[in-house]
Amino acid sequence: MIIRSSDEVPRTTVLKRFPVPRNFGVDAASRINRGRTWPAPRGATRIKRFDVYRYDPESGQNPRIDTYQVDLDDCGPMVLDVLIWIKNTVDPSLTFRRSCREGVCGSCAMNIDGTNWLACTKFNADLATPATIYPLANMRIIKDLVPDLTHLFAQHRLVEPWLRSKSPEPERERLQSPQERAQLDGLYECILCFCCTSGCPSHWWNGDRFLGPAVLLQATRWLVDSRDEATGERLDDLEDPFRLYRCHTILNCTRTCPKGLNRGKAIADVKKMPIERRS
Amino acid sequence: MTRAPSDRQRPLSPNIQIYRPQLTSVLSIGNRITGIALSAYAVALVIWLVAAAAGPDAYAAVDAFIGSWVGRIVLFGGTFCLFFHFCGGIRHLVWDAGYGFSLRAIYASGWAVVAASIALTALTYVVGAILAGYGP
Repeated sequence: MIIRSSDEVPRTTVLKRFPVPRNFGVDAASRINRGRTWPAPRGATRIKRFDVYRYDPESGQNPRIDTYQVDLDDCGPMVLDVLIWIKNTVDPSLTFRRSCREGVCGSCAMNIDGTNWLACTKFNADLATPATIYPLANMRIIKDLVPDLTHLFAQHRLVEPWLRSKSPEPERERLQSPQERAQLDGLYECILCFCCTSGCPSHWWNGDRFLGPAVLLQATRWLVDSRDEATGERLDDLEDPFRLYRCHTILNCTRTCPKGLNRGKAIADVKKMPIERRS
Repeated sequence: MTRAPSDRQRPLSPNIQIYRPQLTSVLSIGNRITGIALSAYAVALVIWLVAAAAGPDAYAAVDAFIGSWVGRIVLFGGTFCLFFHFCGGIRHLVWDAGYGFSLRAIYASGWAVVAASIALTALTYVVGAILAGYGP
């Protein structure tokens, strides 16, 4: 089946997950136990089962999967509505990030039914039964669905995502032609939800040194900016076996981007730049 | 009364254990597995050549294995690995040149690799069978 845009949901599922053991390469503290099952609300007719990853740092216990029976007639159409419904009516201890509820802030990124997406722009109707909700893959978890993004923001800072110029401060704005401005389309829209980096197998195995698609897209955004004068230094910083070239063009990033940005294309363009400047 | 968070390390959320297999990741891992398999087949090819150089007895032993049904299955797998890795390699070359990155192109080229490697494997055996005199 041909997927045309990242928000397409596959109609058929051959495998919901890779055939690896559940605890494949998982350290003892990260093993997931069976949690509690919450009863369905009385009188509900349209019930959908949600299996949600839970972790309570205060308990000293391992993470667990809690099962919730959600009354779809009593809550909104999106996964975020389900989470808010659970928190309001069933289990107030469920913890997750959310803010804008319309896909512009990137707070509610999580792993829904095996792929990363924003909970606020994912329809419940598109989910399997039972639906599974995990935090973003391959992150240290602070609590429940809240991942620790410190490392990713540190990697973001490494590419110096701001305008660097050597020429004297201009008297007025730094102008761009419409063509120069168009170079930033498809790059500036990134909301840093880190769905892509969290879905990148290369970042799973080498995340300590590989920058990952979200950060590399930001690096591209400044490399192609006509006002930026540090292109050479930026490329020097990127030209490294791990930081940039650990991208093996798997392209899970392009498949999962909730904003529909083409991260694979952006990284491929950057990979060519250090070679092109030599010729 | 809330307790202070324990000082145990934060758990790592699952990655490969839960992430949905997609054509993108499956073909990537497939390309790697077939690449590793081809390295083993290269060793097997050397064994075959060394046996041929060593003399008729050694060659007959290796030839007997290749002719057995286990040997034939191994050889068939090798043919598929070769074409799968070859087609996947072409796809990666095109990407490295900066083309074919739209999601539609990613999926179209991905399925093309699957179809082409199956078709080329089948074609190899059909042509081989005809040349060996099994054909009409």
